[in-house]
Amino acid sequence: MIRRSTPLAVTAATAALALAVTGCGGGDTPESSATDKPTGNATLWVRDSQKGFINLLTDQYNKTHDGKIQVTVIPAASFVQKFGTAAQTGSGPDIASIDLVYLPFFASKGVLDDLTEVQNQLTWKDALSPAHRKLAEYEGKVYALPFTAEASMIFYNKDLFTKAGLDPSKPPTTFDEMLNAARKIHALGKDYYGFTMAGQCGGCNVFEVAPHIWASKGDILSEDGKTAQFTSPEVTDVLTFYRQMWTEGLMPPNAKTDNGSIQGTTFQGGKTGMVTLGAFYVQTLMADKKVDFGVTPIMGKDGGTASFAGGDEIAVTKSAKNKAVAYDFVKWATSEEAQMILAKNSIVPVRTDLIDKIYAPIDPRYKPLGEAMSTGQTPYSVVENGIINDNNGPWATLINQGVFGAGDIRQAQETANKAAQAIIDKGA
Amino acid sequence: MTETLAHPATEIAPSEPRRPWLTNRRRRQLMGLLLVSPALVVVIVFFLVPLVMTFWMSLHDWPLLGDHEFVGLANYKQAVDDTEWTNAIWFTLKYTLLITPALLIPALIQAFLVNRPGRGARFFQTIFFLPVVIGFAAGAYLWLYLAQPGLGPLADLSAKLGFSDSTDNWFATGTSALLLVSLMVVWKQTGMQMILLLSGLQSIPDELNEAARIDGAGRWKAFRYITLPLLRPTLALVLVFSVAGSLLAFDQFFIMTAGGPSNTTITAVYQIYRTSFINFDLGYGAALSAMLMVVLAAVSAAQMLLLRRTDHS
Repeated sequence: MIRRSTPLAVTAATAALALAVTGCGGGDTPESSATDKPTGNATLWVRDSQKGFINLLTDQYNKTHDGKIQVTVIPAASFVQKFGTAAQTGSGPDIASIDLVYLPFFASKGVLDDLTEVQNQLTWKDALSPAHRKLAEYEGKVYALPFTAEASMIFYNKDLFTKAGLDPSKPPTTFDEMLNAARKIHALGKDYYGFTMAGQCGGCNVFEVAPHIWASKGDILSEDGKTAQFTSPEVTDVLTFYRQMWTEGLMPPNAKTDNGSIQGTTFQGGKTGMVTLGAFYVQTLMADKKVDFGVTPIMGKDGGTASFAGGDEIAVTKSAKNKAVAYDFVKWATSEEAQMILAKNSIVPVRTDLIDKIYAPIDPRYKPLGEAMSTGQTPYSVVENGIINDNNGPWATLINQGVFGAGDIRQAQETANKAAQAIIDKGA
Repeated sequence: MTETLAHPATEIAPSEPRRPWLTNRRRRQLMGLLLVSPALVVVIVFFLVPLVMTFWMSLHDWPLLGDHEFVGLANYKQAVDDTEWTNAIWFTLKYTLLITPALLIPALIQAFLVNRPGRGARFFQTIFFLPVVIGFAAGAYLWLYLAQPGLGPLADLSAKLGFSDSTDNWFATGTSALLLVSLMVVWKQTGMQMILLLSGLQSIPDELNEAARIDGAGRWKAFRYITLPLLRPTLALVLVFSVAGSLLAFDQFFIMTAGGPSNTTITAVYQIYRTSFINFDLGYGAALSAMLMVVLAAVSAAQMLLLRRTDHS
């Protein structure tokens, strides 16, 4: 295993080792370090879903700095594979914007550069999204900085609330209240539904359903990600609640099989009372102008709130050629100037100190989203993709059978838990 | 280079007479080799090398990132006991058995219908062929929305005509989801098979059919004893294409059902995709690919043999 030098390493031992290894490595490409002046070109890989704003950001950086960033856009579906193989062979970019759930995986495989010192240089370090910071940490070191944020909330149709005799200024705060609201909206007519979800989508349901569990003070994985907790009673409660909504016909029939591409459209149809989605959806609904909507936090069984903190982190690869510019850019990406550009493009800032200043003023509905992000959670696992995001994996199967199946919920939990634990044990 | 240029005389006119190495035959052979070399390079670089690499990887524990280690045939042993994999294989076979006749019979009928002169025939030929030019993924998305309960016009139409209820979800059971995806594939692929079969039909001389008619053969007998045997090479081609394509089915299920409900529509390639790119287990994924390739080669070879043998009888 070749360990590249970490120029910021403080201890003499690491420095000596680093020097020795660099000496052995014998690469001719001169590597710059953080102590160098950030000049020259650095490459950045992003996913095609970020195409809308990434050039605005890099143009601004390139205009105001000596270093220049060149962006390469990679299709979202193959980003992890492409970046993984490229980073390992040293043909990857200097910088990469990575979905935060994959951070533990990449950090554990040793392809990312240690950014602990870089993060320490930020005066606003403590204001960075706690969920992002947690996911970027692996064995005590920081491997990425927070970049963009996303948070899940319940969207509700205010007109339908009024029609159904509910107060649109008092959205539900417990499972019982949500069930009651869904029933009343469904009672408006045969094709009216209280709530919809994407039953066949693993990634959607960690974003949308898991917060109910967290808000009820439960969890789906242990803190270190090494134990699956799909059997916890809070999971049973949520599945029971959702199954009730399903069996009472409060959800449209396509909720069972939606792989994530339908639920938004269904809510936009104006006959569905509630749906759980993220900040990106605010922009969609505002552009659409059809539904008068409100947003409210995802609640626990008897109150409490939680949210899934999603988004991207920005990392420097271990084999980066221009680390000076890379370090400079990732630091700048968390600055007010950069985060402001993101906020203007409907992206939740990753800095809790900036939510009220640059994000909330854009639309009143952004404020609760920003707050949800600040307290949001994200499951930590080096095999997140296999246990949660896989549409046919343990988590998606649990939702599918727990909510839409007819079998025993606890039995489904046991089976899914075993499958998840097997993947965790294999990956460790 | 410069050296040979410097002594051209010695090259062209050797001092002692002997049989030139470059005979006409050799020259032709070399020329042939030269002409096929671009294709050969493509086959080697994009087929043989990846093939050998896949096999090599299948003998390793090979994660997407990190070190790999040689494990011999362990991946293959694991695959034999892997119920997810065997389920995927069974589902793929089921789908292939369903879709092959579902494509061939309508394609044959369409080919017969448009196998006549006139504008009308060309018009319908175009109509039947149109869905082929739409990409598979685009077609799958189209049908995903068309058949969505409460949103899609197809579901709506079916409810209005009384075939189903407006709350029926065709994606909700494994069987109905399979049928729906198959319907999409029939819509998408029949046109292609029709064109191939049509070219086969048009290569059958009219005289043969005429002669059979004069001898007193009816329409069915002429079809059974003249058309079908002469169409056999085209049928073989169409069937091999169709079966190989069905055994490799992936995108239509990935998009339309996402393997659901409850993982009942996962094909072999879908399972390979999950193994390699969701669980990042490239070694095991390579082993599964190698197994699928063997099945594919065997099925295609068997089909070729069967259709060839009857040709000589």
